[in-house]
Amino acid sequence: MASKNRGPQRGGKNNEPDPVTRWIVIGMVSLVVIIGAVFTVVSNKSSASVALPPGASKEDGYGIVFNPDATSTINIWEDFQCPSCKRFEGINGPKIYSLIDQGKTKVVFHTLSFLGDESVVAGMGAGCAADQGRFLDYKNFMYTNQQEEYSGTWTKPYVISMAGQIGLDETKFAACLNTDKYRKWLTNSAAAGGDANINGTPTVVINGTIMESDPQQINYYTAEGFTAQLAKFGIK
Amino acid sequence: MKVTKENLLPWIGLVARLALGGVLFVAGAIKIPYPYKAAAAMRAYELLPNSLASFFGYILPWFEVGLGLLLILGVASRLSGLIGALLMILFIAAISSAWARGLTIDCGCFGGGGQVAAGETKYLQEIIRDIGLAIAGFYLYFQPYSRFALDNRGK
Repeated sequence: MASKNRGPQRGGKNNEPDPVTRWIVIGMVSLVVIIGAVFTVVSNKSSASVALPPGASKEDGYGIVFNPDATSTINIWEDFQCPSCKRFEGINGPKIYSLIDQGKTKVVFHTLSFLGDESVVAGMGAGCAADQGRFLDYKNFMYTNQQEEYSGTWTKPYVISMAGQIGLDETKFAACLNTDKYRKWLTNSAAAGGDANINGTPTVVINGTIMESDPQQINYYTAEGFTAQLAKFGIK
Repeated sequence: MKVTKENLLPWIGLVARLALGGVLFVAGAIKIPYPYKAAAAMRAYELLPNSLASFFGYILPWFEVGLGLLLILGVASRLSGLIGALLMILFIAAISSAWARGLTIDCGCFGGGGQVAAGETKYLQEIIRDIGLAIAGFYLYFQPYSRFALDNRGK
């Protein structure tokens, strides 16, 4: 076994490490790391000129705005694939939709895509639905038919057929989704979420105050809890 | 074959490399497809200004994968081990600080991250794991020679 014991202490000319292989490996690994890191940073940067869906506003963090002139504001940051967002929508959706209908509260929906490619497809679809004036119906339908996270179900053809089910013009929707018309809008939304320190979904911000379900002992997963929060800010 | 210190240490070195390198590689690779989530996990520590935290959140997974690869292959084991150990100490400091400040977050080490319910934090487990990995890294700094390492080629 002595011949296999090639510890560094043995030194000598024939025992020098092979610097070429070492540097090639170090070089290749560094190259991959640098290219990957630069690509990630650049592709997540906000771009100056993006196609915005109707109703989306740059000033409101690229969210889709309802009742822009009302005094109180609710910002909702969500991801169609997130189970807690589905819960939130199921419990508080009706209240939020009625606030929108009453016209007294500004409501901004921010579509995030935390959960990978399927969230991106679903999110781009939200923009495409907004093109046809049906953002809220689409959003609600996505939650009603939510699949397990990362299940791979929400492919473009699948989401296009979902749009068809709620009566959207499937041809127009497909043209919009298949060309990634709103991909950059989603990137900008995500960057705006970063700037606003939104680190999870759903995050609800009422008049600038971030609601945190657990630390503040608020349970916004009950209709009473959420209504009570809104009432604190004078939203009824 | 007699087990002596001389022929046992390289095997310990191999275990240290694969443990630290394997964990870094996997942790990085899991996060790469979800850069936004990685950035959010970084922001949730509330240690850096938002934009800087997002930036590090984007690049850290790539760095982990690269360092993990070098350790697994056994390239520049001494330096890679040291950098890995220092990285773990940084993680331990960040997690401890989150714990001390009463934040309730997931470390986001293997994806995930961000707010969790008060009873669901795992700070102690996370710190113990990182201490173990830091020890593996420091071991490699002091005993860089290990079995099946590219560093050994040509020797």
